[in-house]
Amino acid sequence: MSAPQPLIEVRGLDSTYMRGTPLETVALRGVDFTVYPGEMVGVIGPTGSGKSTLLQHLNGLLRPQAGRVRVAGVDLSDRRAGLRSLRLRVALLFQNPEDQLFERYVADDVAFGPLSLSLPLEEVRERVRRAMEAAGLPLQVYRDRLTFSLSGGERRRAALAGVLALDPQVLVLDEPLAGLDPAGRRELVSLLAGWHRREGRAIVWASHSMEEIARLADRVYVLAEGRVVLEGTPRQVFARGDLLAACGLEVPAVTQVLLELAQAGLPVRTDVLSLEEALPVLEALLA
Amino acid sequence: MSEFELLRNVAIGQYLPRESVLHRLDPRVKLLGTILLMAALMGQRRPAMLLVGLLLVGGLFLLARAPLGHALRGLRPLLPLFFIVLVLQLFFYPHRQAVAAGSPALWQWGRFVLSGEGMIALAAMLLRMAALALVLTLLTSIADVTGLVHGVEGLLRPFQRLRLPAHEVSMVLVVALRFVPLLTREMERLMKAQAARGADFGRGRGGVIKRVRRTFPLLIPLFITTLRRAEELAVAMEARGYVGGKGRTHLVRLRFRPADLLALGVAAGASVGLFLVNLGPAERAVIDWLRHLLSGP
Repeated sequence: MSAPQPLIEVRGLDSTYMRGTPLETVALRGVDFTVYPGEMVGVIGPTGSGKSTLLQHLNGLLRPQAGRVRVAGVDLSDRRAGLRSLRLRVALLFQNPEDQLFERYVADDVAFGPLSLSLPLEEVRERVRRAMEAAGLPLQVYRDRLTFSLSGGERRRAALAGVLALDPQVLVLDEPLAGLDPAGRRELVSLLAGWHRREGRAIVWASHSMEEIARLADRVYVLAEGRVVLEGTPRQVFARGDLLAACGLEVPAVTQVLLELAQAGLPVRTDVLSLEEALPVLEALLA
Repeated sequence: MSEFELLRNVAIGQYLPRESVLHRLDPRVKLLGTILLMAALMGQRRPAMLLVGLLLVGGLFLLARAPLGHALRGLRPLLPLFFIVLVLQLFFYPHRQAVAAGSPALWQWGRFVLSGEGMIALAAMLLRMAALALVLTLLTSIADVTGLVHGVEGLLRPFQRLRLPAHEVSMVLVVALRFVPLLTREMERLMKAQAARGADFGRGRGGVIKRVRRTFPLLIPLFITTLRRAEELAVAMEARGYVGGKGRTHLVRLRFRPADLLALGVAAGASVGLFLVNLGPAERAVIDWLRHLLSGP
Protein backbone atom coordinates (compact mmCIF):
# COMPACT_ATOMS: atom_id res chain seq x y z
CA MET A 1 0.00 0.00 0.00
CA SER A 2 1.43 3.35 -0.98
CA ALA A 3 1.21 6.35 1.34
CA PRO A 4 -2.00 8.32 0.74
CA GLN A 5 -1.75 11.58 -1.17
CA PRO A 6 -1.91 14.58 1.17
CA LEU A 7 -4.98 16.74 0.67
CA ILE A 8 -3.29 19.88 1.92
CA GLU A 9 0.44 20.33 1.81
CA VAL A 10 2.13 23.43 3.22
CA ARG A 11 5.89 23.77 2.88
CA GLY A 12 8.11 26.54 4.24
CA LEU A 13 5.29 29.03 4.52
CA ASP A 14 6.17 32.58 5.62
CA SER A 15 3.64 35.28 6.23
CA THR A 16 3.96 38.91 7.25
CA TYR A 17 1.15 41.34 7.96
CA MET A 18 1.34 44.95 6.80
CA ARG A 19 4.38 43.96 4.76
CA GLY A 20 6.52 46.86 3.65
CA THR A 21 5.13 49.26 6.21
CA PRO A 22 6.71 50.26 9.51
CA LEU A 23 4.04 48.25 11.29
CA GLU A 24 4.83 44.89 9.72
CA THR A 25 4.45 41.85 11.92
CA VAL A 26 5.73 38.40 11.13
CA ALA A 27 2.97 35.83 11.62
CA LEU A 28 4.46 32.64 10.17
CA ARG A 29 8.06 31.51 9.65
CA GLY A 30 8.79 28.44 7.60
CA VAL A 31 5.72 26.43 8.53
CA ASP A 32 5.30 22.86 7.26
CA PHE A 33 1.83 21.42 7.61
CA THR A 34 0.05 18.46 6.06
CA VAL A 35 -3.51 17.19 6.09
CA TYR A 36 -4.42 13.76 4.75
CA PRO A 37 -7.93 12.92 3.58
CA GLY A 38 -10.32 12.08 6.35
CA GLU A 39 -8.10 12.86 9.32
CA MET A 40 -8.68 15.20 12.23
CA VAL A 41 -5.76 17.57 12.69
CA GLY A 42 -5.44 19.70 15.78
CA VAL A 43 -3.58 23.01 15.74
CA ILE A 44 -2.78 24.39 19.14
CA GLY A 45 -0.85 27.45 20.15
CA PRO A 46 -1.18 30.50 22.33
CA THR A 47 -2.85 33.69 21.12
CA GLY A 48 -0.74 35.32 18.43
CA SER A 49 1.09 32.13 17.50
CA GLY A 50 -0.11 32.32 13.90
CA LYS A 51 -2.93 29.76 14.04
CA SER A 52 -5.51 31.94 12.31
CA THR A 53 -2.99 33.08 9.70
CA LEU A 54 -2.11 29.49 8.87
CA LEU A 55 -5.78 28.53 8.60
CA GLN A 56 -6.50 31.39 6.23
CA HIS A 57 -3.83 30.12 3.88
CA LEU A 58 -5.53 26.76 3.62
CA ASN A 59 -8.39 28.09 1.53
CA GLY A 60 -6.60 30.86 -0.28
CA LEU A 61 -7.90 33.83 1.70
CA LEU A 62 -4.24 34.64 2.13
CA ARG A 63 -1.78 33.86 -0.62
CA PRO A 64 1.61 32.43 0.29
CA GLN A 65 4.26 35.17 0.31
CA ALA A 66 7.05 32.64 0.49
CA GLY A 67 6.84 28.89 0.54
CA ARG A 68 4.21 26.67 -1.02
CA VAL A 69 0.63 25.75 -0.31
CA ARG A 70 -0.90 22.93 -2.33
CA VAL A 71 -4.51 21.99 -1.89
CA ALA A 72 -5.77 18.92 -3.74
CA GLY A 73 -2.90 19.30 -6.21
CA VAL A 74 -3.51 23.02 -6.88
CA ASP A 75 -0.58 25.30 -6.10
CA LEU A 76 -1.91 28.47 -4.49
CA SER A 77 1.13 30.54 -5.42
CA ASP A 78 -0.15 30.25 -8.96
CA ARG A 79 -2.00 33.47 -9.69
CA ARG A 80 -4.39 31.72 -12.00
CA ALA A 81 -5.44 29.08 -9.50
CA GLY A 82 -9.21 29.18 -9.18
CA LEU A 83 -9.59 30.34 -5.62
CA ARG A 84 -13.33 30.31 -5.50
CA SER A 85 -13.75 26.62 -6.18
CA LEU A 86 -10.95 26.02 -3.69
CA ARG A 87 -12.71 28.02 -1.00
CA LEU A 88 -15.72 25.81 -1.42
CA ARG A 89 -13.67 22.64 -1.17
CA VAL A 90 -11.90 23.84 1.97
CA ALA A 91 -14.53 25.47 4.15
CA LEU A 92 -13.34 27.81 6.87
CA LEU A 93 -15.39 28.66 9.92
CA PHE A 94 -14.04 31.80 11.53
CA GLN A 95 -13.81 32.69 15.16
CA ASN A 96 -17.16 33.93 16.50
CA PRO A 97 -18.86 33.01 13.23
CA GLU A 98 -22.26 34.00 14.60
CA ASP A 99 -21.34 37.60 13.72
CA GLN A 100 -21.42 36.81 10.03
CA LEU A 101 -25.09 35.83 9.79
CA PHE A 102 -27.07 38.32 7.77
CA GLU A 103 -30.30 36.79 6.47
CA ARG A 104 -33.58 37.12 8.32
CA TYR A 105 -34.28 33.42 8.39
CA VAL A 106 -31.84 30.73 9.44
CA ALA A 107 -32.38 28.53 6.42
CA ASP A 108 -31.80 31.45 4.03
CA ASP A 109 -28.50 32.12 5.66
CA VAL A 110 -27.44 28.51 5.38
CA ALA A 111 -28.44 28.59 1.71
CA PHE A 112 -26.08 31.50 0.95
CA GLY A 113 -23.12 29.24 0.14
CA PRO A 114 -24.95 26.68 -2.03
CA LEU A 115 -26.79 29.48 -3.84
CA SER A 116 -23.57 31.22 -4.75
CA LEU A 117 -22.44 27.91 -6.22
CA SER A 118 -25.38 28.27 -8.65
CA LEU A 119 -26.63 24.78 -7.86
CA PRO A 120 -30.11 23.74 -8.96
CA LEU A 121 -32.74 24.73 -6.41
CA GLU A 122 -33.57 21.13 -5.48
CA GLU A 123 -29.93 20.47 -4.66
CA VAL A 124 -29.71 23.68 -2.60
CA ARG A 125 -32.73 22.61 -0.57
CA GLU A 126 -31.31 19.18 0.05
CA ARG A 127 -27.95 20.60 1.12
CA VAL A 128 -29.55 23.11 3.48
CA ARG A 129 -31.63 20.34 5.03
CA ARG A 130 -28.62 18.07 5.53
CA ALA A 131 -26.36 20.83 6.80
CA MET A 132 -28.90 22.04 9.33
CA GLU A 133 -29.50 18.49 10.43
CA ALA A 134 -25.76 17.97 10.90
CA ALA A 135 -25.52 21.20 12.88
CA GLY A 136 -28.32 20.11 15.21
CA LEU A 137 -30.85 22.58 13.84
CA PRO A 138 -33.44 20.34 12.18
CA LEU A 139 -35.10 22.19 9.34
CA GLN A 140 -38.67 21.42 10.42
CA VAL A 141 -38.06 23.18 13.72
CA TYR A 142 -35.80 26.02 12.63
CA ARG A 143 -37.12 26.74 9.13
CA ASP A 144 -39.03 29.89 10.08
CA ARG A 145 -36.96 31.00 13.04
CA LEU A 146 -35.55 34.51 12.79
CA THR A 147 -31.77 34.44 12.78
CA PHE A 148 -31.53 37.12 15.41
CA SER A 149 -33.90 35.39 17.80
CA LEU A 150 -31.58 32.40 18.17
CA SER A 151 -29.44 31.85 21.24
CA GLY A 152 -25.67 32.28 21.04
CA GLY A 153 -25.03 28.56 20.73
CA GLU A 154 -27.73 28.16 18.10
CA ARG A 155 -26.32 31.01 16.07
CA ARG A 156 -22.86 29.44 16.22
CA ARG A 157 -24.38 26.21 14.91
CA ALA A 158 -26.30 28.09 12.22
CA ALA A 159 -22.98 29.51 11.02
CA LEU A 160 -21.52 26.01 11.08
CA ALA A 161 -24.44 24.80 8.98
CA GLY A 162 -23.61 27.60 6.54
CA VAL A 163 -20.19 26.11 5.83
CA LEU A 164 -21.28 22.48 6.04
CA ALA A 165 -23.75 23.27 3.25
CA LEU A 166 -20.75 23.79 0.96
CA ASP A 167 -20.10 20.05 1.34
CA PRO A 168 -16.36 20.61 1.82
CA GLN A 169 -13.54 18.07 1.63
CA VAL A 170 -11.87 19.77 4.56
CA LEU A 171 -13.59 21.67 7.35
CA VAL A 172 -11.29 24.22 8.93
CA LEU A 173 -12.36 25.48 12.35
CA ASP A 174 -10.84 28.46 14.12
CA GLU A 175 -11.56 28.24 17.85
CA PRO A 176 -15.00 26.75 17.32
CA LEU A 177 -15.72 26.46 21.03
CA ALA A 178 -14.60 29.91 22.18
CA GLY A 179 -17.18 31.65 24.32
CA LEU A 180 -19.62 28.73 24.59
CA ASP A 181 -20.90 27.38 27.89
CA PRO A 182 -20.05 23.77 28.86
CA ALA A 183 -23.33 22.40 27.51
CA GLY A 184 -22.88 24.29 24.27
CA ARG A 185 -19.30 23.04 23.97
CA ARG A 186 -20.31 19.43 24.52
CA GLU A 187 -23.08 19.68 21.98
CA LEU A 188 -20.91 21.31 19.32
CA VAL A 189 -18.10 18.80 19.89
CA SER A 190 -20.43 15.85 19.46
CA LEU A 191 -21.97 17.39 16.32
CA LEU A 192 -18.56 17.96 14.79
CA ALA A 193 -17.28 14.51 15.74
CA GLY A 194 -20.47 13.03 14.31
CA TRP A 195 -20.09 14.84 11.00
CA HIS A 196 -16.43 13.81 10.82
CA ARG A 197 -17.27 10.16 11.41
CA ARG A 198 -20.30 10.06 9.10
CA GLU A 199 -18.85 11.92 6.15
CA GLY A 200 -15.26 10.77 6.55
CA ARG A 201 -14.03 14.26 5.67
CA ALA A 202 -10.98 15.92 7.16
CA ILE A 203 -11.18 18.51 9.92
CA VAL A 204 -8.51 21.02 10.89
CA TRP A 205 -9.27 22.27 14.36
CA ALA A 206 -7.44 25.20 15.92
CA SER A 207 -7.87 25.72 19.61
CA HIS A 208 -6.15 26.61 22.78
CA SER A 209 -8.27 24.31 24.85
CA MET A 210 -6.48 20.99 25.00
CA GLU A 211 -9.12 18.54 26.20
CA GLU A 212 -11.04 18.23 22.93
CA ILE A 213 -7.90 18.12 20.81
CA ALA A 214 -6.42 15.41 23.03
CA ARG A 215 -9.56 13.35 22.71
CA LEU A 216 -10.42 13.79 19.03
CA ALA A 217 -7.36 14.63 16.96
CA ASP A 218 -5.37 12.08 14.98
CA ARG A 219 -2.40 14.40 14.77
CA VAL A 220 -1.51 17.66 16.51
CA TYR A 221 0.61 20.61 15.48
CA VAL A 222 1.89 22.99 18.13
CA LEU A 223 2.51 26.53 16.94
CA ALA A 224 4.46 29.16 18.84
CA GLU A 225 5.61 32.51 17.52
CA GLY A 226 4.84 31.51 13.97
CA ARG A 227 6.80 28.25 14.01
CA VAL A 228 5.76 24.62 14.30
CA VAL A 229 7.51 23.59 17.50
CA LEU A 230 6.01 20.13 17.85
CA GLU A 231 4.10 17.70 15.69
CA GLY A 232 2.78 14.23 16.34
CA THR A 233 -0.03 12.18 17.77
CA PRO A 234 -1.77 13.68 20.80
CA ARG A 235 0.03 11.12 22.92
CA GLN A 236 3.45 12.19 21.70
CA VAL A 237 2.64 15.88 21.92
CA PHE A 238 1.05 15.95 25.35
CA ALA A 239 3.86 13.87 26.82
CA ARG A 240 5.99 17.00 26.32
CA GLY A 241 4.30 19.01 29.04
CA ASP A 242 7.51 20.94 29.68
CA LEU A 243 7.76 22.20 26.12
CA LEU A 244 4.06 23.07 25.99
CA ALA A 245 4.34 24.98 29.23
CA ALA A 246 7.27 26.91 27.80
CA CYS A 247 5.01 27.93 24.92
CA GLY A 248 2.35 29.12 27.32
CA LEU A 249 0.09 26.12 26.76
CA GLU A 250 -1.32 23.51 29.10
CA VAL A 251 -1.71 19.79 28.83
CA PRO A 252 -5.04 18.18 29.76
CA ALA A 253 -5.59 18.15 33.51
CA VAL A 254 -5.23 14.35 33.80
CA THR A 255 -1.95 14.36 31.95
CA GLN A 256 -0.76 17.18 34.18
CA VAL A 257 -1.44 15.13 37.32
CA LEU A 258 0.56 12.19 35.99
CA LEU A 259 3.39 14.43 34.82
CA GLU A 260 3.68 15.86 38.31
CA LEU A 261 3.61 12.40 39.88
CA ALA A 262 6.40 11.33 37.56
CA GLN A 263 8.33 14.43 38.50
CA ALA A 264 7.97 13.47 42.16
CA GLY A 265 9.80 10.25 41.26
CA LEU A 266 6.86 7.86 41.05
CA PRO A 267 6.90 5.18 38.33
CA VAL A 268 3.93 6.24 36.17
CA ARG A 269 3.27 6.54 32.45
CA THR A 270 2.76 10.11 31.32
CA ASP A 271 1.37 9.55 27.82
CA VAL A 272 -2.15 9.43 29.16
CA LEU A 273 -4.90 11.59 27.74
CA SER A 274 -8.15 10.71 29.47
CA LEU A 275 -9.52 9.78 32.83
CA GLU A 276 -10.34 6.26 31.61
CA GLU A 277 -6.71 5.69 30.71
CA ALA A 278 -5.40 7.25 33.88
CA LEU A 279 -7.48 5.10 36.19
CA PRO A 280 -5.56 1.80 35.81
CA VAL A 281 -2.26 3.69 36.08
CA LEU A 282 -3.29 5.26 39.36
CA GLU A 283 -4.74 1.99 40.69
CA ALA A 284 -1.46 0.21 39.92
CA LEU A 285 0.37 2.95 41.77
CA LEU A 286 -1.83 2.62 44.86
CA ALA A 287 -1.71 -1.16 44.90
CA MET B 1 -1.34 38.74 -1.85
CA SER B 2 -3.32 40.93 0.43
CA GLU B 3 -6.64 41.46 -1.29
CA PHE B 4 -8.27 41.61 2.14
CA GLU B 5 -5.67 43.72 3.93
CA LEU B 6 -7.56 47.00 3.81
CA LEU B 7 -5.37 49.04 6.13
CA ARG B 8 -2.07 48.34 4.48
CA ASN B 9 -2.02 51.13 1.93
CA VAL B 10 -3.29 54.00 3.99
CA ALA B 11 -0.53 56.01 5.62
CA ILE B 12 -2.58 59.07 6.52
CA GLY B 13 -4.01 58.30 9.91
CA GLN B 14 -1.39 55.73 10.78
CA TYR B 15 0.49 56.34 14.00
CA LEU B 16 4.16 55.47 13.95
CA PRO B 17 5.37 54.66 17.43
CA ARG B 18 8.91 56.05 17.61
CA GLU B 19 11.12 57.89 20.06
CA SER B 20 11.79 61.25 18.51
CA VAL B 21 11.90 64.94 19.27
CA LEU B 22 8.64 65.44 17.40
CA HIS B 23 6.87 62.59 19.13
CA ARG B 24 7.67 64.08 22.51
CA LEU B 25 6.04 67.43 21.76
CA ASP B 26 2.88 68.56 23.49
CA PRO B 27 -0.05 67.45 21.29
CA ARG B 28 -1.40 70.99 21.31
CA VAL B 29 1.83 72.12 19.71
CA LYS B 30 1.64 69.34 17.15
CA LEU B 31 -1.85 70.50 16.20
CA LEU B 32 -1.08 74.20 16.16
CA GLY B 33 2.10 73.64 14.21
CA THR B 34 0.20 71.60 11.65
CA ILE B 35 -2.44 74.28 11.32
CA LEU B 36 0.19 76.99 10.88
CA LEU B 37 2.09 75.04 8.26
CA MET B 38 -1.06 74.17 6.37
CA ALA B 39 -2.24 77.77 6.38
CA ALA B 40 1.11 78.93 5.05
CA LEU B 41 1.12 76.28 2.34
CA MET B 42 -2.41 77.13 1.31
CA GLY B 43 -1.59 80.79 0.99
CA GLN B 44 1.57 80.20 -0.99
CA ARG B 45 1.36 80.54 -4.76
CA ARG B 46 4.98 80.31 -5.89
CA PRO B 47 6.14 76.81 -6.88
CA ALA B 48 9.68 77.47 -5.69
CA MET B 49 8.49 78.41 -2.21
CA LEU B 50 6.13 75.44 -2.13
CA LEU B 51 9.10 73.26 -2.98
CA VAL B 52 10.88 74.79 -0.01
CA GLY B 53 7.84 73.96 2.11
CA LEU B 54 7.84 70.41 0.78
CA LEU B 55 11.51 70.01 1.68
CA LEU B 56 10.78 71.42 5.10
CA VAL B 57 8.11 68.79 5.67
CA GLY B 58 10.50 66.15 4.37
CA GLY B 59 13.02 67.33 6.95
CA LEU B 60 10.37 66.97 9.64
CA PHE B 61 9.83 63.36 8.58
CA LEU B 62 13.55 62.77 9.08
CA LEU B 63 13.28 64.40 12.47
CA ALA B 64 10.37 62.10 13.33
CA ARG B 65 12.56 59.15 12.27
CA ALA B 66 9.89 58.02 9.84
CA PRO B 67 11.04 56.00 6.82
CA LEU B 68 10.64 57.70 3.45
CA GLY B 69 8.39 54.92 2.17
CA HIS B 70 5.89 55.72 4.89
CA ALA B 71 5.70 59.35 3.80
CA LEU B 72 5.31 58.41 0.16
CA ARG B 73 2.50 56.00 0.95
CA GLY B 74 0.67 59.00 2.31
CA LEU B 75 0.68 60.43 -1.20
CA ARG B 76 -0.58 57.34 -2.95
CA PRO B 77 -4.33 57.86 -2.35
CA LEU B 78 -3.90 61.35 -3.86
CA LEU B 79 -2.62 60.14 -7.21
CA PRO B 80 -6.04 60.09 -8.90
CA LEU B 81 -6.65 63.59 -7.57
CA PHE B 82 -3.31 64.73 -8.99
CA PHE B 83 -4.35 63.39 -12.33
CA ILE B 84 -7.68 65.21 -12.27
CA VAL B 85 -6.00 68.49 -11.34
CA LEU B 86 -3.49 67.96 -14.12
CA VAL B 87 -6.23 67.51 -16.69
CA LEU B 88 -8.26 70.46 -15.40
CA GLN B 89 -5.28 72.79 -15.37
CA LEU B 90 -4.12 71.74 -18.84
CA PHE B 91 -7.45 72.08 -20.57
CA PHE B 92 -9.56 74.45 -18.56
CA TYR B 93 -7.13 77.08 -17.32
CA PRO B 94 -7.76 80.37 -19.19
CA HIS B 95 -4.47 80.01 -21.06
CA ARG B 96 -5.50 82.30 -23.91
CA GLN B 97 -6.37 85.19 -21.66
CA ALA B 98 -3.07 84.69 -19.83
CA VAL B 99 -1.14 84.82 -23.08
CA ALA B 100 -3.10 87.86 -24.19
CA ALA B 101 -2.14 89.51 -20.90
CA GLY B 102 1.53 88.97 -21.66
CA SER B 103 2.38 85.53 -20.32
CA PRO B 104 4.66 83.56 -22.66
CA ALA B 105 3.02 80.84 -24.70
CA LEU B 106 4.96 77.63 -24.13
CA TRP B 107 3.29 75.46 -26.71
CA GLN B 108 0.64 76.02 -29.30
CA TRP B 109 -1.39 73.67 -31.42
CA GLY B 110 -4.29 75.18 -33.27
CA ARG B 111 -6.51 76.97 -30.81
CA PHE B 112 -4.88 75.13 -27.92
CA VAL B 113 -2.27 77.13 -25.98
CA LEU B 114 -0.26 76.41 -22.84
CA SER B 115 0.64 79.61 -21.01
CA GLY B 116 3.63 79.97 -18.73
CA GLU B 117 1.42 81.35 -16.03
CA GLY B 118 -0.94 78.38 -16.27
CA MET B 119 1.90 75.92 -15.93
CA ILE B 120 3.22 77.73 -12.87
CA ALA B 121 -0.22 77.58 -11.31
CA LEU B 122 -0.38 73.87 -12.11
CA ALA B 123 3.00 73.19 -10.53
CA ALA B 124 2.00 75.20 -7.48
CA MET B 125 -1.24 73.32 -7.10
CA LEU B 126 0.36 69.87 -7.33
CA LEU B 127 3.13 70.82 -4.95
CA ARG B 128 0.66 72.33 -2.52
CA MET B 129 -1.51 69.21 -2.50
CA ALA B 130 1.49 66.97 -1.96
CA ALA B 131 2.79 69.15 0.85
CA LEU B 132 -0.58 69.32 2.59
CA ALA B 133 -1.02 65.56 2.41
CA LEU B 134 2.47 65.08 3.81
CA VAL B 135 1.82 67.47 6.68
CA LEU B 136 -1.28 65.50 7.62
CA THR B 137 0.57 62.20 7.32
CA LEU B 138 3.26 63.63 9.55
CA LEU B 139 0.77 64.77 12.17
CA THR B 140 -0.86 61.36 12.43
CA SER B 141 2.54 59.66 12.43
CA ILE B 142 3.79 61.60 15.42
CA ALA B 143 0.56 61.92 17.39
CA ASP B 144 -1.53 58.98 18.54
CA VAL B 145 -5.28 59.35 18.65
CA THR B 146 -5.51 59.92 22.39
CA GLY B 147 -2.84 62.58 22.25
CA LEU B 148 -4.53 64.32 19.36
CA VAL B 149 -7.85 64.39 21.09
CA HIS B 150 -6.31 65.71 24.28
CA GLY B 151 -4.73 68.36 22.12
CA VAL B 152 -8.05 69.28 20.54
CA GLU B 153 -9.64 69.48 23.95
CA GLY B 154 -6.81 71.64 25.24
CA LEU B 155 -7.10 74.00 22.31
CA LEU B 156 -10.88 74.21 22.60
CA ARG B 157 -10.90 74.84 26.33
CA PRO B 158 -10.65 78.64 26.02
CA PHE B 159 -13.89 78.54 24.05
CA GLN B 160 -15.76 76.96 26.93
CA ARG B 161 -16.70 80.47 27.98
CA LEU B 162 -18.74 80.57 24.81
CA ARG B 163 -20.53 77.42 25.98
CA LEU B 164 -18.59 75.16 23.65
CA PRO B 165 -18.59 71.68 25.24
CA ALA B 166 -14.88 71.07 24.73
CA HIS B 167 -14.76 67.77 26.54
CA GLU B 168 -17.80 66.32 24.82
CA VAL B 169 -16.52 67.34 21.41
CA SER B 170 -13.21 65.63 22.04
CA MET B 171 -14.92 62.54 23.44
CA VAL B 172 -17.06 62.21 20.34
CA LEU B 173 -13.91 62.58 18.27
CA VAL B 174 -11.97 59.97 20.17
CA VAL B 175 -14.81 57.45 19.96
CA ALA B 176 -15.26 58.04 16.25
CA LEU B 177 -11.55 57.70 15.55
CA ARG B 178 -11.20 54.64 17.74
CA PHE B 179 -13.96 52.92 15.80
CA VAL B 180 -12.29 53.35 12.42
CA PRO B 181 -9.66 50.62 12.77
CA LEU B 182 -12.14 48.42 14.64
CA LEU B 183 -14.66 48.64 11.84
CA THR B 184 -12.00 48.16 9.20
CA ARG B 185 -10.84 45.00 10.89
CA GLU B 186 -14.42 43.83 11.28
CA MET B 187 -15.05 44.50 7.59
CA GLU B 188 -11.94 42.53 6.68
CA ARG B 189 -13.12 39.64 8.81
CA LEU B 190 -16.59 39.67 7.28
CA MET B 191 -15.25 39.84 3.74
CA LYS B 192 -13.13 36.81 4.45
CA ALA B 193 -15.90 34.95 6.20
CA GLN B 194 -18.36 35.50 3.36
CA ALA B 195 -15.72 34.79 0.73
CA ALA B 196 -15.13 31.50 2.54
CA ARG B 197 -18.81 30.77 1.92
CA GLY B 198 -18.50 31.47 -1.77
CA ALA B 199 -19.29 35.18 -1.91
CA ASP B 200 -17.58 36.94 -4.76
CA PHE B 201 -16.72 40.60 -4.25
CA GLY B 202 -14.24 40.87 -7.07
CA ARG B 203 -16.16 40.86 -10.30
CA GLY B 204 -18.70 43.61 -10.95
CA ARG B 205 -21.15 41.68 -13.05
CA GLY B 206 -24.90 42.18 -12.88
CA GLY B 207 -27.14 45.20 -12.60
CA VAL B 208 -27.27 47.79 -9.86
CA ILE B 209 -29.72 45.84 -7.74
CA LYS B 210 -27.63 42.72 -7.98
CA ARG B 211 -24.53 44.61 -6.98
CA VAL B 212 -26.24 46.29 -4.05
CA ARG B 213 -27.55 42.93 -2.93
CA ARG B 214 -24.00 41.62 -2.96
CA THR B 215 -23.06 44.07 -0.20
CA PHE B 216 -25.81 42.86 2.15
CA PRO B 217 -23.75 39.99 3.58
CA LEU B 218 -21.21 42.62 4.66
CA LEU B 219 -23.30 45.61 5.58
CA ILE B 220 -25.94 43.94 7.69
CA PRO B 221 -23.55 42.14 10.05
CA LEU B 222 -21.34 45.24 10.14
CA PHE B 223 -24.26 47.41 11.23
CA ILE B 224 -25.29 44.96 13.89
CA THR B 225 -21.77 44.64 15.27
CA THR B 226 -21.30 48.39 15.25
CA LEU B 227 -24.51 49.07 17.12
CA ARG B 228 -23.69 46.38 19.64
CA ARG B 229 -20.18 47.75 20.11
CA ALA B 230 -21.52 51.27 20.64
CA GLU B 231 -24.00 50.02 23.19
CA GLU B 232 -21.34 48.04 25.03
CA LEU B 233 -19.07 51.06 25.04
CA ALA B 234 -21.79 53.26 26.52
CA VAL B 235 -22.50 50.72 29.24
CA ALA B 236 -18.81 50.24 29.97
CA MET B 237 -18.31 54.00 30.30
CA GLU B 238 -21.27 54.42 32.60
CA ALA B 239 -20.21 51.43 34.66
CA ARG B 240 -16.96 53.24 35.32
CA GLY B 241 -18.75 56.35 36.45
CA TYR B 242 -18.54 58.47 33.33
CA VAL B 243 -20.92 61.41 33.57
CA GLY B 244 -19.48 63.86 31.09
CA GLY B 245 -16.99 66.66 31.19
CA LYS B 246 -17.85 68.65 34.26
CA GLY B 247 -15.23 68.43 36.99
CA ARG B 248 -13.37 65.73 35.13
CA THR B 249 -9.63 65.58 35.57
CA HIS B 250 -7.11 63.97 33.26
CA LEU B 251 -4.71 61.16 33.78
CA VAL B 252 -2.26 62.77 31.42
CA ARG B 253 -1.69 66.44 32.18
CA LEU B 254 -0.56 68.28 29.12
CA ARG B 255 2.60 70.13 29.92
CA PHE B 256 4.04 72.91 27.86
CA ARG B 257 7.83 72.64 27.98
CA PRO B 258 10.59 74.84 26.56
CA ALA B 259 11.01 72.44 23.67
CA ASP B 260 7.35 72.96 22.81
CA LEU B 261 7.78 76.70 22.80
CA LEU B 262 10.78 76.33 20.54
CA ALA B 263 8.89 74.05 18.16
CA LEU B 264 5.93 76.40 18.05
CA GLY B 265 8.27 79.31 17.40
CA VAL B 266 9.97 77.47 14.55
CA ALA B 267 6.64 76.47 13.03
CA ALA B 268 5.31 80.02 13.31
CA GLY B 269 8.53 81.43 11.91
CA ALA B 270 8.52 79.02 8.99
CA SER B 271 4.92 79.74 8.11
CA VAL B 272 5.30 83.50 8.42
CA GLY B 273 8.41 83.18 6.26
CA LEU B 274 6.56 81.15 3.68
CA PHE B 275 3.76 83.69 3.81
CA LEU B 276 5.90 86.81 3.52
CA VAL B 277 7.83 85.68 0.47
CA ASN B 278 4.52 85.36 -1.25
CA LEU B 279 3.49 88.97 -0.83
CA GLY B 280 2.21 90.82 -3.84
CA PRO B 281 1.93 94.61 -4.15
CA ALA B 282 -1.53 94.68 -2.53
CA GLU B 283 -0.42 92.89 0.63
CA ARG B 284 2.69 95.03 0.81
CA ALA B 285 0.56 98.13 0.69
CA VAL B 286 -1.52 96.83 3.61
CA ILE B 287 1.59 96.07 5.63
CA ASP B 288 3.06 99.48 4.90
CA TRP B 289 -0.16 101.10 5.98
CA LEU B 290 -0.16 99.06 9.23
CA ARG B 291 3.45 100.01 9.90
CA HIS B 292 2.60 103.64 9.28
CA LEU B 293 -0.34 103.35 11.63
CA LEU B 294 1.72 101.76 14.40
CA SER B 295 4.62 104.20 14.19
CA GLY B 296 2.19 107.11 13.90
CA PRO B 297 2.04 110.15 16.14
